[in-house]
Amino acid sequence: MSLQQLVERALAGDPVSRAKLVSLFSDTRPEATFDRMEAEEIAQKAQKPHECAFVGCTGAPGVGKSSLLSALVTRLRKQNQARLIAVLAIDPSSPFSGGALLGDRVRMALPEDDSGVFFRSQAADRELGGLSPATFQVCRMLRYLFDLVLVETVGVGQSETDIRHLADCVVLVVQPMVGDDVQLLKAGIMEIPDVIVMNKSDLTPAANQSFRALQTAAVRLLRPTDRSKVTTHRASARTGEGIDDLAALIADTRSNTDRFSEAETYFFEKAVRREFGTYGLDVLEAQGGAERVIEQRGFYEAQRWFARQIVV
Amino acid sequence: MKTETSTKATSAKKADGHRLVDEDGAPGRDRPWIFRTYSGHTSARASNELYRQNLLQGQTGLSIAFDLPTQCGYDSDHAMSRPEIGKVGVPINSLDDMHVLFDGIPIERMNTSMTINATSMWLLSLYVALAQERGVEVAALRGTTQNDIIKEYLARGTYIFPPPASLELTAQMYEYCLDAIPKWNASNVCSYHLQEAGATPGQELAFALATAMAVLDLVRARGQVPESAFAHVVGRMSFFVNSGIRFVEEMCKMRAFTEMWDHITQHRYGVTDPKRRAFRYGVQVNSLGLTESQPENNAWRIALETLGVTLSRNARCRALQLPAWNEALSLPRPWDQQWALRLQQILAYETDLLEYPDLFDGSPVVASKVAALKEQAQTEIDRIEEMGGVVAAIESGYMKSALVRSMTERVRKIQEGELTWVGVNRWPEAIESPLVSGNDGGLFRVEEGHAQQALAALEQTRRERDTEAAERAIETLKSAAKAGRNLMEPSIACARARVTTGEWAGALRDIFGEYRPATGIDGQPLALENDRVETLRSRIGALTAARGRRPRLLVGKPGLDGHSNGAEVIAVSARHVGFDVIYSGIRLTPSAIVRSAIDEDVDLVGASVLSGSHLELAEQIMTGLRKAGMNSAQVVLGGIVPAEDHAKLEALGIAKVFTPADYELLDTMEQLVELLEARSRNEARPQNQKRPQNQRG
Repeated sequence: MSLQQLVERALAGDPVSRAKLVSLFSDTRPEATFDRMEAEEIAQKAQKPHECAFVGCTGAPGVGKSSLLSALVTRLRKQNQARLIAVLAIDPSSPFSGGALLGDRVRMALPEDDSGVFFRSQAADRELGGLSPATFQVCRMLRYLFDLVLVETVGVGQSETDIRHLADCVVLVVQPMVGDDVQLLKAGIMEIPDVIVMNKSDLTPAANQSFRALQTAAVRLLRPTDRSKVTTHRASARTGEGIDDLAALIADTRSNTDRFSEAETYFFEKAVRREFGTYGLDVLEAQGGAERVIEQRGFYEAQRWFARQIVV
Repeated sequence: MKTETSTKATSAKKADGHRLVDEDGAPGRDRPWIFRTYSGHTSARASNELYRQNLLQGQTGLSIAFDLPTQCGYDSDHAMSRPEIGKVGVPINSLDDMHVLFDGIPIERMNTSMTINATSMWLLSLYVALAQERGVEVAALRGTTQNDIIKEYLARGTYIFPPPASLELTAQMYEYCLDAIPKWNASNVCSYHLQEAGATPGQELAFALATAMAVLDLVRARGQVPESAFAHVVGRMSFFVNSGIRFVEEMCKMRAFTEMWDHITQHRYGVTDPKRRAFRYGVQVNSLGLTESQPENNAWRIALETLGVTLSRNARCRALQLPAWNEALSLPRPWDQQWALRLQQILAYETDLLEYPDLFDGSPVVASKVAALKEQAQTEIDRIEEMGGVVAAIESGYMKSALVRSMTERVRKIQEGELTWVGVNRWPEAIESPLVSGNDGGLFRVEEGHAQQALAALEQTRRERDTEAAERAIETLKSAAKAGRNLMEPSIACARARVTTGEWAGALRDIFGEYRPATGIDGQPLALENDRVETLRSRIGALTAARGRRPRLLVGKPGLDGHSNGAEVIAVSARHVGFDVIYSGIRLTPSAIVRSAIDEDVDLVGASVLSGSHLELAEQIMTGLRKAGMNSAQVVLGGIVPAEDHAKLEALGIAKVFTPADYELLDTMEQLVELLEARSRNEARPQNQKRPQNQRG
């Protein structure tokens, strides 16, 4: 099958072609960049990118990110069958073997015969920041295939700030607070979200009190960017409480093309640092910086061009 | 029909030196434990014949195995059920099936043990309804519903509802049985399956006792049982325990159980009557250690494991069922079961075991070992209590992770020869066993076509019943569930209205929801580091570089069979050598596996099937992949697969079949890597050809 055919079939919704195309966008071989560039060109010619919104979902392990996501996806699909949804879930890799166990619990709760939902897990592959090295690239292609992309981050630490660069809306999931979660409120991760959801939030006095504390904390949050105020919600994936509100909020999220070009710069720089370290960053700086290089050459050409600079 | 073997002296005995004497000082023997054989298969009719045969052979109680659809709350005609009907037990769809199952068997004189959990309340209701329709006094019924849902989440996999709702059902059964069937054991806390899942003796003690406490705490908290009757409920708590090959330690474990339960019932629940503090338990000895290679050795293992739970009089089992020597090969045939039963009879009636008081009282070695086990267990119990009890420790995945860790540690020890396993990692060469060379190859086969019996009976029930009455009974059940009322009476009414198993469970699924527990494999290390692991990692590294991505392996358990140890160990090992592994736990439909394989664009699908349904399930997976045009994923299958089925699986397109004989993890990993390397070589194409990657195959 030619690349042309593959992209066409994927755009037409063929599940296998869709999956293969996503794999191409996470292929680590240098020469795969050519194919990605070509694939995106083909897709661009065939159609405009969807008005695709990216929603990030982050939070500590055990707060119920997966079950909340699956409840939301099910609801969003039910509301609008025409809305195609992709879910990317990032899991940590073993520092020893490089292998990973990729959780698939979101998928298991979704209707299995609904081809309007695509689920892919990605290994973080020792990348810090909560995403996989390929997440951004894959999202580039997903723009052409889906209307909504949900990204679930690794969820292990407070350094998971990359999602802020990618997503149009970041949802932080917490649970009624005990001990460490109070710490979480003070920590850096609280600077990331646009929305804070208290999951597992049944209407007990303890949960009510917890939620009030969360609301107070959220008001005081210093916003690092110009984004609007943080909103707080409560939900229970188990009882379905609050799912409608959250689904509406996600459905209203609009894609932001400025954000996407900022993301290009950020993730390009990150890739340079990953591959070539501070030496790479110095070289990039000497060429006028990531933003300038991308502006001059385009995202793909910038990568190839930069690799040549380093080799020489 | 004879139901209870009478011996010369059945009254209580006491110790007189080395002798047991009765009240008049005359020497005598103890009455033996109840002899059971875990059985049931194919259809209600076939199982009924088997039970009658076993009772004639001197078996003294019934132990009923249900098929997986019945255990998971599906009717035989549900899509998930088809391949499983009658495979691992008897299919029961309605009260009509119960009439057939117990045809000619006097249930008022039977001690009937039912291995049933998520649908326990339903099966007990059917049994009660059977008694009512036969005109048997319900209060006279005796027996046990296994009904330990905690170990289902941890090890056995036939759960349906979330933990809190499931425990409520158990508590309601205790409340009902208290007056209605005072001799019924509403639940039977199982440490058996925990050992099968790799639990250490300390974990077995702790998890089982913590589970029992969770049930009793809930019964007390519900406030339906008057304080004066609570001791009775405590006294009905019984256990189902495993006995492994380290039989001295197992004997000590049983003494530890007895002592700890005595303490808990006295101090936590204030039970003063020592009889109600007795640790009453039944046993099935260990299956985990039974081997497919040199299967005749299993007969010795079973005999030795039996000693662990019979030697110590103070901690002797009340009922015993033995696996058959060929369990790792297939379900037992009637002859295999008879052979197992004879072992019990020889031990109880030929040997002098039952003539003595406890042999170990006063032994400093035993006392010290028991104390050590108790301490381990108490530490673990304290930890679980700190987390908020068993339900919290299930929901957080803590208990499951602990078991997966123990299991992978056991597997590592076997791999590295720290644990000797005769015929497997030592002395693997042997003369071929004549026991497996008979006409039937030493195997039992479910006769094809028997599934039709179950389906036809179900259809007949649906056709002949009063549909409106059945629907009304279901509505009553649902509204009682919504209101949090005791569901026993509405369930009995459902049974009599010929509501089916799937309808009963479906109604409660609507109210309680379904549950999917943690897989427990996240973050599990495998302490196996050697040259072979390193070689595998570099081979996978080479594949990763050549193909532009790490090999992706989907481990899946299609069908209703919940024995996930094998799949878990494979998942953990595959990650250990460098695969990206996608594992979502048990009870997947073939179409869900196909869907995951496509979306995740995996290179390998490993399907694990232990229930004997490998042909049907493999066929469904292969067809699904082919129809979708997913040709790049190779499919391998692991399970209890008779040799003659290997060729059939290959014809279906299965790339490789693994059986329990492939216990060597690294061998398995090497074979998986070889499959990928071969595929990768075939993918190599002339340089100037157009990509994309990963498209061929």
